[in-house]
Formats: sequence, structure tokens, C-alpha cells
Amino acid sequence: MVTLGHFLLLSGLLMVIGLYGVLTRRNLIAVLMSVEILLNAAALAFASVAAYRDPQIFAGQVFALFIIVVAAAELSIGFAILLNVYRTHGAVTDDAISEMRG
Amino acid sequence: MSLTAFYVLAAFILIFAVLAVTTANMVRAALSLAVTFFLVAGLYLLLGSPALAAIQFMVNASAIPIMTLFIIMMTQSRTSPAPRTWQLVAGFLAAAAALVFFKGAVGHGDGQITPVSPETLGVNLLQAALLPFEVASLLLLLAMVGAIVLARRRAD
Repeated sequence: MVTLGHFLLLSGLLMVIGLYGVLTRRNLIAVLMSVEILLNAAALAFASVAAYRDPQIFAGQVFALFIIVVAAAELSIGFAILLNVYRTHGAVTDDAISEMRG
Repeated sequence: MSLTAFYVLAAFILIFAVLAVTTANMVRAALSLAVTFFLVAGLYLLLGSPALAAIQFMVNASAIPIMTLFIIMMTQSRTSPAPRTWQLVAGFLAAAAALVFFKGAVGHGDGQITPVSPETLGVNLLQAALLPFEVASLLLLLAMVGAIVLARRRAD
């Protein structure tokens, strides 16, 4: 049977993958996508702990909903900023914005 | 039965997540990310929470990949440049450190899944978490207006 440890370990592995992506990606859109993986791993951990350990309130699942909301807001603002970076610098890689003054 | 389903889902989630952070082709990476989130929605079903699975499917597996594909095409970023050597070293070091950190998660063996109906989740959302709920809607409104203002084409 599937235990809480299974879910937590999977969420931890997803977090490891997302962390690796944040550090190695050079296209800024790809960095934001890796951040999405990180947020989803956290939401999965919250939801699984709520399903196993909190049979009345399910606070963790409500929290997972809020993580999804915050992720959507963060992503839309991030993409709007990246669109401005593309307009001013012509690319959305990390070395395009390595200078303090554009 | 559910153990088999879990292992199949977990294997594909990990494969597609690794593809999403390593593929050079940006469109393929975004599609892998969409598949990852779709499979995570299956995992929420396995956790007995159809409401969370539906929201994950609608927001993370449908809306966000579409937005990502739009922005990939608007900024004409076909590929992500190959990572520098120090980035690879840092990435592997951080991944190894996080792996050691998360290894202790296997210990939580016992316990039973309590399925949560969408009704229960909704009642909890609007009673115990009413204030965060309203703050979240305000946050979404602010993000929407902010994104429109930021992405607007300047008149000059």
C-alpha cells in the first residue's frame, strides 16, 4: 500500500529536479518553469500530509490550493517582466541582463 | 493496485520533470512540464482529492503551459543555451545536498489516506480559510492588472 513516505519522497525528488533546473537553466523562461516544478513539489507534500495526517480540516490541501494561486500570480508577473526584458535587450537569456544599467 | 498506479505515475512524473529541466528545445520542455503537471493531477486523485486534481488539471496542466508557450513564441526563444560548467557543478551539488536532506522522508510509513470530498474542501476553504481566500482573490486581481500594465506596449 502507498504510504506517506512514498509521496514525500516523490515530492522531495521533484524538488531536487526543480532545484537543479533553477541553477542550470540559462533561458529565463526555463528558470521560471523550474520554479513551477519546485512549487508543485511543495503543494504535493502539503496535500499528501493533509490526506494522511489531518482527517478533519485538510488544512494542507487548502494550502496546496493557495500555492497554485500564488504560482499562477508569480508566473504571470514573471512573464510580463520577461516580455519587457525581451523588448529592451532582445533576448531572455541570463547574460542578456548581466549589466546593472541596460 | 494503487501501489502499481503510484509507481507508474511517479516514474513518468520524474522522467518528464527531468526532461522539462534538461531539454534544450524550449517548446518540448514546456510540453514535458505540462505532462508532468497532468500526471501530478493523477497523483492527487490517488490521494483521494478530486477537487485538487481538477484544479491542478485546469490551472497547472492547461492554463500555465499555454501561457508558457505564448511567451516562448513571443520572445522567440527556441532553445535554452547549454549550461556553463560552474552551473552544472552547482546544480549537481545542490541536488545532492537536497537529496541528503529529503532522504529522511521515507521514514513516515504508517497512516491511512482519508479521501476528501470537494464539498468538505470547499466548506473548509470558505470557513476556516476565509481571510486567505479573499486575500488570494485580491492577489490574483493585482497580478492580472500588474501583468497588463507591465506587458503593455509603450506609446513611444
